Amino acid sequence: MAYIKDTIAAIATPPGKGGVGIVRISGPVAVRIGKEISKRETEPRVATLVSFYDDRGRTIDQGLLICFQGPHSFTGEDLIELQGHGGPVVMDLLLKRAIQLGARQAGPGEFSQRAFLNDKIDLVQAEAIADLINSSSEQAALGSMRSLQGDFSNQINSTLKKLVQLRVLVEAAADFPEDGIEAEINKDEKEKLKYLLNQLDQLLEGAKEGHAFSQGVSLVLTGKPNAGKSSLMNALCKRDVSIVTEIPGTTRDVVREDAIIEGVTFRILDTAGTRQAKNKIEAEGVKRALKEVERADIVLNLVDVSENIELEMMEELEKNKRAKEIVVYNKVDLLHKKSIPSSFQCVSVKTGGGLQKLKKRLIKELGVLSGGDSIFSARRRHITAIEQARIHILEAIGFIGIENQIDLLAEELRLAQLALDSITGTFTSDDLLGEIFNNFCIGK
Amino acid sequence: MKAFDVIVVGGGHAGTEAALASARAGASTLLLTQNIETIGQMSCNPAIGGIGKSHLVKEIDALGGAMGIAADRAGIHWRILNSRKGPAVQATRAQADRALYKAAIRKIVETQVGLSIFQQSVVDLRFKGQKVDSVITDSGLRIKTKGLVLTVGTFLGGVIHVGLNKQTGGRMGDGPSNLLAQKLRDIEFGVDRLKTGTPPRIDGKTVNFGLLEEQPGESQRPTMSFLGKPEDHPRQVLCHIAHTNEKTHDIIRKGLDRSPLFTGQIEGVGPRYCPSIEDKIERFSDKNQHQIFIEPEGLGTQELYPNGISTSLPYDVQLDLVRSIKGFEDAHITRPGYAIEYDFFEPRNLYPSLQTKKIVGLFFAGQINGTTGYEEAAAQGLIAGLNAARLSQEKEPWVPKRSEAYVGVMIDDLVTMGTKEPYRMFTSRAEYRLILRQDNADRRLTPKGRELGIIDEKRWTKFCEKRDRIDEISKKIKKIFISAEDKKVNAMLNKPLGREYSVFEVMKRPEIKGMALLEAAGLKMISSSVAEQIEIDCKYQGYISRQEKEVEKNKSHFDQPIPSDFCFDSIPGLSNEAKQKLALIKPKNLGQAGRIPGMTPAAVSLLMVYLKKGDSIQNVQAD
Ligand SMILES: Cc1cc2nc3c(=O)[nH]c(=O)nc-3n(C[C@H](O)[C@H](O)[C@H](O)COP(=O)(O)OP(=O)(O)OC[C@H]3O[C@@H](n4cnc5c(N)ncnc54)[C@H](O)[C@@H]3O)c2cc1C
Ligand SMILES: Nc1nc2c(ncn2[C@@H]2O[C@H](COP(=O)(O)OP(=O)(O)OP(=O)(O)O)[C@@H](O)[C@H]2O)c(=O)[nH]1
Ligand SMILES: [Mg+2]
Repeated sequence: MAYIKDTIAAIATPPGKGGVGIVRISGPVAVRIGKEISKRETEPRVATLVSFYDDRGRTIDQGLLICFQGPHSFTGEDLIELQGHGGPVVMDLLLKRAIQLGARQAGPGEFSQRAFLNDKIDLVQAEAIADLINSSSEQAALGSMRSLQGDFSNQINSTLKKLVQLRVLVEAAADFPEDGIEAEINKDEKEKLKYLLNQLDQLLEGAKEGHAFSQGVSLVLTGKPNAGKSSLMNALCKRDVSIVTEIPGTTRDVVREDAIIEGVTFRILDTAGTRQAKNKIEAEGVKRALKEVERADIVLNLVDVSENIELEMMEELEKNKRAKEIVVYNKVDLLHKKSIPSSFQCVSVKTGGGLQKLKKRLIKELGVLSGGDSIFSARRRHITAIEQARIHILEAIGFIGIENQIDLLAEELRLAQLALDSITGTFTSDDLLGEIFNNFCIGK
Repeated sequence: MKAFDVIVVGGGHAGTEAALASARAGASTLLLTQNIETIGQMSCNPAIGGIGKSHLVKEIDALGGAMGIAADRAGIHWRILNSRKGPAVQATRAQADRALYKAAIRKIVETQVGLSIFQQSVVDLRFKGQKVDSVITDSGLRIKTKGLVLTVGTFLGGVIHVGLNKQTGGRMGDGPSNLLAQKLRDIEFGVDRLKTGTPPRIDGKTVNFGLLEEQPGESQRPTMSFLGKPEDHPRQVLCHIAHTNEKTHDIIRKGLDRSPLFTGQIEGVGPRYCPSIEDKIERFSDKNQHQIFIEPEGLGTQELYPNGISTSLPYDVQLDLVRSIKGFEDAHITRPGYAIEYDFFEPRNLYPSLQTKKIVGLFFAGQINGTTGYEEAAAQGLIAGLNAARLSQEKEPWVPKRSEAYVGVMIDDLVTMGTKEPYRMFTSRAEYRLILRQDNADRRLTPKGRELGIIDEKRWTKFCEKRDRIDEISKKIKKIFISAEDKKVNAMLNKPLGREYSVFEVMKRPEIKGMALLEAAGLKMISSSVAEQIEIDCKYQGYISRQEKEVEKNKSHFDQPIPSDFCFDSIPGLSNEAKQKLALIKPKNLGQAGRIPGMTPAAVSLLMVYLKKGDSIQNVQAD
């Protein structure tokens, strides 16, 4: 039984690992996408070396293309695999191209779900699939939360608010023409729509450039003085970039350096961390540290365990941490007995103990290992949604001032909002009515 | 008394359409109502249609119902709303003569084959186990039936407020239906309370119309029914517009301490879109005037309905406020305005067929489901009556989907999300608004109605003629070309053609009027309703096909049925909240499950996996 008729795509392996990354595409137009992305026909089930091209014919990457025809594929549908040279940027470009060509970014666990629904996975595994859907949608939620950190989400919300205001006006004009609502939708609204368009463009700019795809994942080190932040920075970069002394308050300004961890580029920032500032310089350092923490993709909060830290305090720290924060317990070499639970992230920068584990954890935080939704795919989803909203706003602008087509204007605005809603959560028609009734005196 | 296939209780808007649909569907049907004289009674403002509402009327009509036909015979003032905003939001509204409307409905009901009317108040219902068995009337009669449709409307547990006085009652002048209300409370259908209000009526002789703004009806009058003609309409009259002023507002503010709304005496929730005048003045205190539509109650009466000043203030305040309005200085109130609180039943306890989940064969329709309005009631009545008949015939129920009809949107909203205020239709409730237009209700629904056996020969023949003509012209306009120099056509355009185009292409330009272009292209003898469809089909083509694709894409996914005995508890990964909601709503398919507030996409995915699992297990067992 064919349940679903669209085509889905996702990055299926971690970037960097072993140098290969896979984008998987499943559904009725998968084969066509393969053809268009490689500009050639390939034989089914044969790995063929091809170039992958973007929409302007530039090469994205070279790699292998394999087509599987349904039902003889993992999902039971037509399925293709693009194996590239990994790296988040390239994988993201491939995914983006697949979406342009008609695929939709897969939801959590969707490939396995399709496999199951098409009888490719046995019934007994229903439970396993359910677990997968649950765990990967939790991860997706986390990824999405990370993507929405800081300014990005404020900007989306303010854009959305303006869009809702316009919709309220247009929908009220359509549903309540007799209530004395200004029925003319013209110049003013056109200006507002153009402003919205501009905001969406800025969002896209910001989302693309400020993000890991091109500049690496930003990893910010914070914590109390002397916790070992600068030492960890040097260890991760394998270079002496930040000054280490036993004097608390050594680091003042932000120190930046790139490091490649498990194939992923990280932009590491060492900071003054959190402290009671004793002078102006320190105060400025702490302020800068805070700003970087806000912007970071991942925050490592270092805690010095030699300072008699109690278990309760650790639990408190774990409970109150931000979604993107990892608490790292340093200087475990100074502990006499192992008193820290193994679920906590412990290291000794001095001996190098726990560093490998920490690196693994960093990659896991990105979510790319499990093939589920990561900050990468969440951000891609968000970018696609903003791009869609942009197209509809553009269409809407064309309908302003045209007699007889307020219904079409309303439809474009609705679709624009639907796209943005996929980022921020649903807004029902009843919510819309509520806004209308709050803003206008409706009713005879 | 002999048994019937279907009994309908209540002769209001829901009840009459239910009884008619049931009889049309071939079930022997009995309509029981408190008073035959009030069959088809408009309890409040005698107007039919409006935005979202005329959409419903035209759908009822497309399925063979009575409301549109009756409106055509009673409409004394016609308006096309949103005439310049696009076909999807365009609507028709008729001010009706109350008596003519009632007479038209009564005639249709009395002449319907297979339908008997009996004046009886129903006081009790009897069930056999979880199944409908019979009704007991106030004269002690017991009548057996297979399908029972309750449409007792505004009469359940009604309390009327005028100022701080309150009394029990249905519509002013009718008694509340309390015995039955108690019985239904006992079955625990989940009762809640709503409120609505009505303005004072005014004696037309005492109004100075010279001081009011005139509001004439359309000169080119539309009709509600597919079968209607403007010639069916009775004599036409004028409506007027008046305004409140600062003095009016002061009077109201001074009376608020005796308003049951503001003293907390009224607990029910009123509609946000139909606030009382005291509400409007409190909430929008910066507005220094409010519009009032002065609408005649009928041809044979002087009474006026001042639309816009619904109130439950005491009579003396009502009189002062009315007299403060320009043109109403000497006005006499014929009936005071009031607020009424009433019971309704939690609509989430219904299946989309409008059958209750608790009792097989028992259907609810109309205001008792938490809706307000004649059109909303009538539309539900038709679906409930049809499905009661189909149940008695052991056929599957039929309910239009959200993508097929406003009726489908309304029912899905009610049974999936319930309602906190009296539910009224608006076009913004429909996500497929561009394909659910009032102009294409016949094309959307009449073929389905025919299949269901509720469309008579006359309507069907006329429908087929129109349909065939549209098909024929649609093909022709792709083959007829208009030259770049065509003077007549260029004169209609903002920008001249520039090269040769097919009529189909030219029709897409927003400034083009369908009929004019068809005539210019030499296509003569085309009715305006056919020309309208051709024009909209062309202009909206891109949008319509986009929405249709959307519908198609979701079909395989959303239409996947969920068995009614499906055990949601057996799904391990689902949250308890999701399980509870699913168990309460018992969604009929995945689409409905996904629309339950709070259901996440992951929960729907899980459900899909377990549906498949359940399916396969059953298949294995059947093998
Ligand atoms: C004060 C007020 C103002 C309103 N204003 C408007 C308005 O301006 N415009 C609008 O569209 N809607 C308005 N409404 C709403 C509208 O009147 C109702 O929603 C609509 O009439 C409901 O139709 P119905 O068929 O469900 O019920 P009703 O029209 O109320 O019909 C119920 C029928 O059931 C019968 N009945 C009741 N109990 C029994 C029994 N035990 N046995 C036998 N028969 C029984 C009654 O006699 C009646 O015939 C108003 C309602 C009220 C109360
Ligand atoms: N024993 C032990 N000492 C460590 C470890 N990591 C760092 N230190 C020492 O702790 C002291 C402070 O280290 P830094 O890296 O400068 O700490 P910081 O957090 O950057 O401090 P500020 O910049 O002053 O806020 C130095 O003397 C380090 O040698 C560790 O794992 N074990
Ligand atoms: Mg330092």
